[in-house]
Amino acid sequence: MTAITQIEMVTGAVRYAPGEEVPNVAKKLFALRNQCTECNVCEIACALAHSPDGTVNPQLARLRIDHAPEKPSKINPLGIGFIAEICHHCGNPPPCAEVCPTDAFYYDPETRAAVIEQDNCIQCMECVPGCPFDVVFVAPSGELLKCDLCGGEPVCVKACSTRPEMLNEGKQYNRLPVLFFEDQPEFNRISKQIIEKRDEIGLMQAMLERGEISSSA
Amino acid sequence: MESRLLRVNLTTGELKSEAIPHQLFERWIGGSGINNWLMWEHFLTHDINCDPRGPDNIFVFGVGPLAGTGAGSGIKGRITFKSPCYGIFGDSAGGGKFPYMVRFSGYEYIAITGRAPKPVYLHICNEEAMLLDASHLWGKDTAETHALLQKEHGTWPSKTHTLTISQAGENQVGIAGVVSDALRIHARCGGGAVMGSKNLKAIAVQGNGGLPVARPKDMLSWSDDFRKKLDSNEAVYGFKRRGTLGAVEMYQHIGSHFWRNNQGNMFRGDEIRSDNWVKKYQKYSEVCSSDCFIACDSKYKIDGTESETAKKYIGETFRRPEYLTTGSAAGALDLRDWSEVAHWGKITNDYGIDNQDLSCSISFLMELKQRDLISDRDVAELFGHEQELRWGNMEDVEACVESVVFQKNTFGQLFRDGPYFGALKYSEIKGQNFMKYAMYGKGGASFTEEMRPFPTWMNNMAVASRGADHLKGIGLIEKFQRKDLSKKYFNGRTEAADLSTPLLKGACTALVENQVALLNSYGVCLFHWMLDPGGYTPQDYYGKAFAAITGIDRTPEELMRDGERICNLEKAINSRIGLRREHDTVCERWMWEPTEEGMYPGKVAADMFNTVLDEYYEWRGWEKDSGLQTRAKLTELGLDDVAEVLAQDRALA
Repeated sequence: MTAITQIEMVTGAVRYAPGEEVPNVAKKLFALRNQCTECNVCEIACALAHSPDGTVNPQLARLRIDHAPEKPSKINPLGIGFIAEICHHCGNPPPCAEVCPTDAFYYDPETRAAVIEQDNCIQCMECVPGCPFDVVFVAPSGELLKCDLCGGEPVCVKACSTRPEMLNEGKQYNRLPVLFFEDQPEFNRISKQIIEKRDEIGLMQAMLERGEISSSA
Repeated sequence: MESRLLRVNLTTGELKSEAIPHQLFERWIGGSGINNWLMWEHFLTHDINCDPRGPDNIFVFGVGPLAGTGAGSGIKGRITFKSPCYGIFGDSAGGGKFPYMVRFSGYEYIAITGRAPKPVYLHICNEEAMLLDASHLWGKDTAETHALLQKEHGTWPSKTHTLTISQAGENQVGIAGVVSDALRIHARCGGGAVMGSKNLKAIAVQGNGGLPVARPKDMLSWSDDFRKKLDSNEAVYGFKRRGTLGAVEMYQHIGSHFWRNNQGNMFRGDEIRSDNWVKKYQKYSEVCSSDCFIACDSKYKIDGTESETAKKYIGETFRRPEYLTTGSAAGALDLRDWSEVAHWGKITNDYGIDNQDLSCSISFLMELKQRDLISDRDVAELFGHEQELRWGNMEDVEACVESVVFQKNTFGQLFRDGPYFGALKYSEIKGQNFMKYAMYGKGGASFTEEMRPFPTWMNNMAVASRGADHLKGIGLIEKFQRKDLSKKYFNGRTEAADLSTPLLKGACTALVENQVALLNSYGVCLFHWMLDPGGYTPQDYYGKAFAAITGIDRTPEELMRDGERICNLEKAINSRIGLRREHDTVCERWMWEPTEEGMYPGKVAADMFNTVLDEYYEWRGWEKDSGLQTRAKLTELGLDDVAEVLAQDRALA
């Protein structure tokens, strides 16, 4: 893994020494596909939490809800539903930071998330196509928006309401929200819980295998 | 808090942007409260007895302060106008992404007057508004119009969301509604006819502006608390899965359906009573608008394996029918296949027409035919050709729908304003009294539910400001027999939850009307409150969110007073139009014909009707004989200006 040299915080305090390797985000931010209801509360909460003057504007959110461009599958036979497009917090350094010509990304020492330092950003937008998941967004003002994990407690995850047990071919799954921010043991636990509910392969496992869960794993 | 109002004069093409003064929020909260005030103000300078289909009528669209701020309580846009079908105060709420987008477009309220010389639509994009030619949209249904507008205006600076009318609105059919994003209809009271009469085909909106929140931290923590409360409420999960469709089973149990024009109150047909349909599609649940923690809706797509009848509709995708769509199709019209119920929901939405009014009109005629009160020849005269009218026959139903939407024939023209006026006109033509078979309250079509055993619901049907209506004063305390709530609100008395007595029923209507007026003014959905009416109270619990967003701190008592003020303004509008106590009534079948089945047989409205109505006026502080407001009550609510106008119009007790 290439080491990161641009590591100054907005405050000017050096968090990592030049050349030092930055550890990855410890937890996983992930979303269940096709379970989202498009309620947009995660967008609103994100916009509100990041708003400097207390205005809500979902266009300034660091995640988006969109139609799932799904082909009918066994899990989603009608091919309808919504997905949350969230930052996957790829292993450090992430592709968005790697393509940055001004090294405007720094690392939050608490969460280890790569965050854009707006003062250094020249709004060249290289990071937008640079992101393999299309989750670096452009605000109407031209400002680049990227998930910063809200200092360790993402408000989008908090705002995501629990869905009822969804029936699939007569089998019940547990009540789960759509967005998660969990560490590895908890991620495994959630997967296992679901496996226990089913005789065969677990929903989460099945979704992972089919690439239907987005996770930073 | 800065909110803007867009005034549109279609006659002159003039568009004016105004800031809404903070005092208006202090007095009217927002949403339907401000809509009502804009309508009231308009009719101070225009004749309130004008033709609702004329240029003097006003059409107001508004969204409340809680909408789109993370309150998680849904978003309901509200249209307010003088109703072309019932001739009285009219308003209607609806979801869709349109009201959500309006919040970010720079305008929260749109007031439209006059009449455009040719078809136009209004395009709003970040405070820039213009009227554009709509000749290419004229004659198209709501789905086509929405698709064309989305294509034309694209996705920058945001997706385009629309409020459209169909051919029914263009033809000024009184029961035509306005459809948000081609999916969610503002059905009641005929907003579509008002837009059609103004030559306004649609409103398209885009925006990427922000909206201010006075105390963002308070709002985030309120929202977090509300989500946790909902997630730990067992009733919410049932609602998330099935939405209002869950009522099918419960209503079947207590006998609260509206079968064949309310000749019975239970559904027939095994399939329609089961929830196979619900199970099949509950996985695809989604919200009707945005900013909602529940998401009680879902989509369906018919693949032909559901039933033999479903093969006709293979590939049809729409939103799953909710209770009243089911009540009107499987109840009023006795359609017995889920795919037909769903298809009924889709066509009435695409044609942008109120399925309650329409189903009551069709089932009225079907009952006349069933009882041989009219002959095949009479029917042929109405339709201009031979037409069968069989219960539960989708082809016959579709012929009736098209007659009304396209104003094809005498039937369509007679029933363009719903069953009450249709039955009146038809009785006159035939020289016979058919009013016994028309289902209505206060001139408005019945909601397709059994009301007779439920005195609060019956009272709602008679007194609601917009004609027959179960939402304005919804009788949850009574139907769910919530003695705890009755005790809480009425000093330890439990009668409001007891179906066998008329006591506290009128009081309960008045109380709940005030609460609902508050929720409507916040611009949120009623369902969240309904799932725990004692917990998520609009005056107390929601009051905190209102304070966090607007910075207006109110005590629960003050907020209840605000709700009462809003209800009194709606009443004042109706009093000026000429409504008195004798108009607060319901149809003959409910009044005199006893229920025959269900949990409560042998009930008629007449048993308790007048006692409940008297009590309602008493709790409202209105005069009992005339049903008019008193100066004392209006002064107490700070409505001296309203009392002055009513006194001039001789509409004050």
